[in-house]
Amino acid sequence: MPVSLKSAAAQRGRRALLAFLPALAFLASGLLAAPAQAQQKTLETAFGPVTVKAQPERIITLDEGALDTVLAMGLQPVGSVAARGGKDLPGYLQAHAKNVPIVGVTREPSLEAIFSQRPDLILASPGLEKRVYDILSKMAPTIVPTTPTTAPWQERNALYVAALGKEEEMASRIAQVQARIASLRERIEPGQSFSVVRWMPQGPMAMSSKMITGQILSALGMQGTAIADELGERPHSDILSLENLGSVDADWMFLATLNEQGDATLAAAREQPAFNRLDAVRNNRAVTVDGQIWSSSTGVLAAERIIDDIERFLLNP
Amino acid sequence: MSKRRGRQLLHRTAIAGAGLAGVLMFASMLLGAGNLTPLESLHALLGQGSEDHRFIVFELRWPRTILAILVGVALGAAGTIMQAATRNPLAEPGLLGVSAGASFAVVLAIYYGADTAGVHFGIAILGALVGCFLVLLTTQMRGAGNDPVRLVLAGAAFSSILMSITTLILLHDQRTADEIRFWVIGALGGRPVSNLQWAVPGLLAGLAMVGATVAALAAMSLGEKVAMGLGHKPVFTRILAMTGVAVLVGTATAAAGPIAFAGLIVPYFARRLVGPDVRRALPIAMLIGPCVLLLADILSRLAVRPYELPIGIVTACIGAPVLIAVVRSHRLPRL
Repeated sequence: MPVSLKSAAAQRGRRALLAFLPALAFLASGLLAAPAQAQQKTLETAFGPVTVKAQPERIITLDEGALDTVLAMGLQPVGSVAARGGKDLPGYLQAHAKNVPIVGVTREPSLEAIFSQRPDLILASPGLEKRVYDILSKMAPTIVPTTPTTAPWQERNALYVAALGKEEEMASRIAQVQARIASLRERIEPGQSFSVVRWMPQGPMAMSSKMITGQILSALGMQGTAIADELGERPHSDILSLENLGSVDADWMFLATLNEQGDATLAAAREQPAFNRLDAVRNNRAVTVDGQIWSSSTGVLAAERIIDDIERFLLNP
Repeated sequence: MSKRRGRQLLHRTAIAGAGLAGVLMFASMLLGAGNLTPLESLHALLGQGSEDHRFIVFELRWPRTILAILVGVALGAAGTIMQAATRNPLAEPGLLGVSAGASFAVVLAIYYGADTAGVHFGIAILGALVGCFLVLLTTQMRGAGNDPVRLVLAGAAFSSILMSITTLILLHDQRTADEIRFWVIGALGGRPVSNLQWAVPGLLAGLAMVGATVAALAAMSLGEKVAMGLGHKPVFTRILAMTGVAVLVGTATAAAGPIAFAGLIVPYFARRLVGPDVRRALPIAMLIGPCVLLLADILSRLAVRPYELPIGIVTACIGAPVLIAVVRSHRLPRL
C-alpha cells in the first residue's frame, strides 16, 4: 500500500478501505472458515466493537481481574502486569501462574515487552488511556470493559470471560462460589457487622462496602459500617483521624495490608491507644488479611480466597 | 532602637507570644476532627463527660499538642539560627534540604529494616548533619553564599535529588512504602507517645548548642572582623550553630516528619516584631514557633473533617506566600 502518500484524497480512500475491511473479513471468514472452527465474535468494549478470534492463545492481561479470570479458566497468559505496588504477580495468583512474564505495571504497561510476546488478545483495565489503547489495539484486539470497579464481582470480568469464550465454565464456577456463600450464611451468627480497613502508619482508611469483599460479606448477611457504605463508588476513604476511629469499629474488623507482613501491621496498630479501645480489638476480632486480595482484587479466584478467610475467622472465633 | 526600648519591646512581645501560645494550646485541646463539640471537649477537659470524650482529649489531643510545642520551638530556633549563621533570610531547614536529609536518612534506615524510635532519632540527626554540612559548603561557593535566592536554589536541587532517590526506594520496595510516606510528609497526629521521650533531650541539647552561639552570631552580624576583634571565632561558631541546627531539625523530623516552611515563617515574624538582632529574635521565635505549629495543626484537623490533612501541607500553604513576600520585598534584608 502506498503509505507514503500524504494527500487528503489518499487518506480518505484509505479510511474508506479500512471501514470496508471488517465486511471483507466477514465475507472471507464465511467463505474460508472450516465448518468445525467456531466463529469469531465481536464484543462491545469501551472503545467500540472489537472482533476477537474464537480461541485466543497468546493472551496479555493488563488488569488483575483479567489475570484472575484467565488463570481461573485454566489458561496461562503470555504476559501480565505486576500487582499494584509490587514487581511480581499478586501473591494469591502466583500458585496458579506458571512463569508468566511481567510486562510492566498497571499504570505503565511496557509496550515493547507486550509487542515482543506477539499477543492475539489483550485484556486491559477499564481505565485504559486512549493513547495507550491506540497503540495496543494495533498489536492485538484489546478488550477494555466499561464496568465500574464497584460492579457486582460476578459481572465485573464478564467481558474478559466473553473474550476468552469461557462463558459456561465461568458461570458454573461462579455458581459454586454462590453456593458456598449460601451455605456459609447458614453457619454464621446472623446480623453481625463488619469493617474492612487498610491500616496506614497515620491511621486507617475505610474500604468501601461496594468492593468485592464488602459485596461478599453483605451477601453473607453482614452489615457494613456507615462510613464504608457512604463511600459508594470511591474504593476507600482518606486516612481517618484517630479521633474518629470508632467509625470503623464493628463486630469483625478486617485489617488489609498491601504486603504479607500482617503481624507487623497489627503490631503497629496496637501502638495506638485509640486502636486498642475498639470493640473488635478488645474482643480479639480484629484480624489481618492479605490486602492484595481484600482491597484491590476482583475475580472468582479472589472471591474463593476471601470466602476461605471468612470461614477461617468466623467459624473459629 | 535604644537598649531600654528594645528590652521593653522584647518583654511585651514575649508576653503577647506566650499568651497567644496559651490560647492556641487551649484551642488545640478543644478543636479536632472528632465527633464532639468544643463544649463537650471542655467538659472532658474538666474531667467530666463520657469516657470516649476524655480519651480523645487526653490521649489523642494532649500528646499532639505537646508535640506541636516541642517541634515548634525546635524549628523556630533552628530557622532563626540558620538564617543568622548563613546570613541569609531565606535559609530554612526545609528549603535548604536539611529536613530532606533527615527524612531521607530515616527512609533509608526503614528500608534497611530499622524500626525503633531511638534509632530513628539518631539517624535523623545524622541525616540533618549531612544536610547542614552541605549547606555550609554551598555558602562557601562563589556567588551562592552571598545570594539568598541562589542558596535556596541549591537547596531545592539537593532536596530533589533526595526526593528522587526516595521515590526510587519506593518503587523498589513497596513494603516500606507506607511507612516511608509517613516520613516524607510531616504529621503530628498518630505519632507514638514514646516519641516525646526522645524529643525532649534532643530539643534541650540542640537549644544548648545554639544558645551558646547567640552572642557570637550577634557580633558576626556586624562583620567577621568585628566579631574576631571581640574575641569570637566565626568558623567555630558557624560549625557549632549548624550542628545545633542539625540536632534540632533531626529531632523535629524524627518526632513529626519534615514540616516545610515552619523554619522560614517563624523567624520572619520574629524579626518583624523585635528586629533582626538574633539575641532578641531567638526567644521570640521560640514562642512563635509553637503558635504557628499549633495553629497549623488545628487547621489540619478542621479542614477536611472527619479526615485530617498532614500538617506539612498546611504549613506549606501558609509558608509559600511568606517566601514569595520575602523574595519580592524590594530589598532582601541582609543579616
